[in-house]
Amino acid sequence: MKQMKKWLGTLFVGFLALVLAACSGNSGVADNNGGSGEEGGSGDSSEITLWAPFSGPDGPYMKEIVDGYNDSQEEYTVDFQIVPQTEYYKNVDLAINGEKNMPDVMIMHGDQIFTYAEKDVLRNMDDIMGDQISEEEYHPSAIEGASVNGELYGVPLDIHPLLFYWNKDMFEAAGLDPEQPPTNRDEFIEYAQKLTDKENNQWGYAVPTLWPQEFIFPTIVNQNGGELYKDGEVQFTSDAVVEALQFEKSLIEEYEVSPKDVQQDGEVTLFLQGKSAMQLNGPWMLEQWEESGINYGVAPVPQLGTEQEGVYANSHNFVIPQNTDDAKLDAITDFLSYVGDNAISWAESGQAPASKAVYESDEFQEVNEQSSQVAKQFDYVSFAPDVDNWGLATSPLMEAVNVALLGQKDVKEALEEAQQKASQALEE
Amino acid sequence: MDEVKQPISKAKRDRRSKLTSFLFVLPYLIMFLAFLFFPLIYGIYISLNDYNLLAQDHPFIGFDNYARIFNPDSAMFTLFFDGLWNTVKFVVFSVPLLVIIGLALALLLNSLPGKIRGLFRTIYFIPYAISVSVISILFLWILDTNSGLLNNFLMNLGFDPVPWLTRQPFAWISLVGATVWWTLGFNMIIFINALNEVPEDMYEASAIDGATAWQKFIHITLPSIRPIMLFVVITSTIASFNVYGQPYLMTRGGPGDSTEVLLMGIVDLAFEQRELGIASAMALLMSLIMIAVSIVQFKISNRNQEGRKAR
Repeated sequence: MKQMKKWLGTLFVGFLALVLAACSGNSGVADNNGGSGEEGGSGDSSEITLWAPFSGPDGPYMKEIVDGYNDSQEEYTVDFQIVPQTEYYKNVDLAINGEKNMPDVMIMHGDQIFTYAEKDVLRNMDDIMGDQISEEEYHPSAIEGASVNGELYGVPLDIHPLLFYWNKDMFEAAGLDPEQPPTNRDEFIEYAQKLTDKENNQWGYAVPTLWPQEFIFPTIVNQNGGELYKDGEVQFTSDAVVEALQFEKSLIEEYEVSPKDVQQDGEVTLFLQGKSAMQLNGPWMLEQWEESGINYGVAPVPQLGTEQEGVYANSHNFVIPQNTDDAKLDAITDFLSYVGDNAISWAESGQAPASKAVYESDEFQEVNEQSSQVAKQFDYVSFAPDVDNWGLATSPLMEAVNVALLGQKDVKEALEEAQQKASQALEE
Repeated sequence: MDEVKQPISKAKRDRRSKLTSFLFVLPYLIMFLAFLFFPLIYGIYISLNDYNLLAQDHPFIGFDNYARIFNPDSAMFTLFFDGLWNTVKFVVFSVPLLVIIGLALALLLNSLPGKIRGLFRTIYFIPYAISVSVISILFLWILDTNSGLLNNFLMNLGFDPVPWLTRQPFAWISLVGATVWWTLGFNMIIFINALNEVPEDMYEASAIDGATAWQKFIHITLPSIRPIMLFVVITSTIASFNVYGQPYLMTRGGPGDSTEVLLMGIVDLAFEQRELGIASAMALLMSLIMIAVSIVQFKISNRNQEGRKAR
């Protein structure tokens, strides 16, 4: 009996462990403003539900578009539901898995479309493309980003590439033209050297060692004329990739324009404090820069690579789940066509809508300083490769970038290790 | 008519009291079954399938997921055992500190006069009530190599800046330090209560016999709080095994993958890669390891106790 009790005791401890294991999985930051989708698609074919991960400052802009649509006509109603960003794909997956409470149409990032299309849970957009919406109404890069093997699975909302930001006050203090951002590698290094004052802990450009290297590193690789994945294999040890990492490392060790040991978000802190003059980050940072009150400028990413213009990007697209009722396609088409013509509100959030009706308009050029700079890069954006479990291949790459930039491993050695780990992960 | 009420038979009374007890346990039992037992069984079932969340069907594959984890040529082997090794490091670094400092603080506070004691008890307990994301952001700002509070102090004193989160062993020191500061209050409160339970007359008797403070601590305090000590050690171990938020938010597993703990790998596999099958298998293995560690801790504690009795 005593043995039994002890056994039960340990079993209890085990369960306790499981509960804790289960709970701690959710400790990420999540803010919830809006319904989390307890109501799925309704039976009424004139009412459609839309899911989006816009729980940040971008939420109200999308809501403005949806409200505008609902007010503009009487026939259809869109029920807009924001799912917290950190929980978004978890909720989408569970809805797909349970085959209930699905939205009729939802926002999906370009780098996710491949995975979902492969599993056959997205409708081919041929179902709705035609008179009301056509591919020609969007930038070709956006269409490419929403396509898998030539088949279109999404209607583009925006493309969000990496951007270049600079502190105009610091440029002026260093004797540089505050309205003239660098456009190539030589200028970038030259400016950075002028802007650096090591004694006073002031830097030209703080090289991040973690996020957003997921955007920066592929950008430089692409500008070097290289690719991270080609012909069914990861290319982490190719010359273009090695050179990209060596260049970033040289900013820290050779040119000494970046501090060593930049931690998570360390480069953002320095930029906000006016201790780092240049910044490579995404359009989503707009709100933070605005709030900090720094005098900043925004421009396309300079050509830091050796071969060509290029920039890594992701995108937002409207996709339709496979099991959305055919009867609702008319309503969805009508709504998406409206968004294509009226997405100027979305530009107010600092993003650049991919529909020509918006980004080619005069109104768009004046909506704010940032959005038009984003759109300038549309022609040469590159996206994540269409590979199953690409995330398993990028995490060893990002670890290699991390240790190399921290000066804890040789560039080639780190990349060789990443190459081997990534190939192994993709082979399985 | 005037019947004398028969006293309720012993058997009946027993049954009734058992029923009452059962009813009291029932709510917990229901919650236990709904939120622990069935999910656990379902987790075991999922771990035996090739369960991709988006796939239409989830074929049964027996122990293949487990075989992959134990196959040294598989990426899953590296993911699991590297993560486990990092987690074990964190447990070994943090648990002794959490227990020893918790006890030391409890002893210190107990020797303070009443009102101040209450104040400090609250002060030390407050961090425990804060969420991990807030703690992490706080420490990110304090520890920042190039613009953080701590390094500013150090540089003013003429020291070189320390890369707290980007170089080993500092990254572990920072993570363990932040965790100790964050969760220490809980252990401390438990120890304070345990110390209050120790009968005062034992200390008085030992004082008459001429025992020193150290002797009192070793021979009276420690043996008296033994069961609580075991509880604290086991809960601290379990909590440390489940470390996730601090490295996820503060170091992102870096430098390299040196602080990439097992739960980070499992969560990524389950919710980013959507491979629930193998992620469940890993989670179950992790639980088994935690259960085994707890049993060993029980055993060691009991053996010591029995040894003492025999003496």
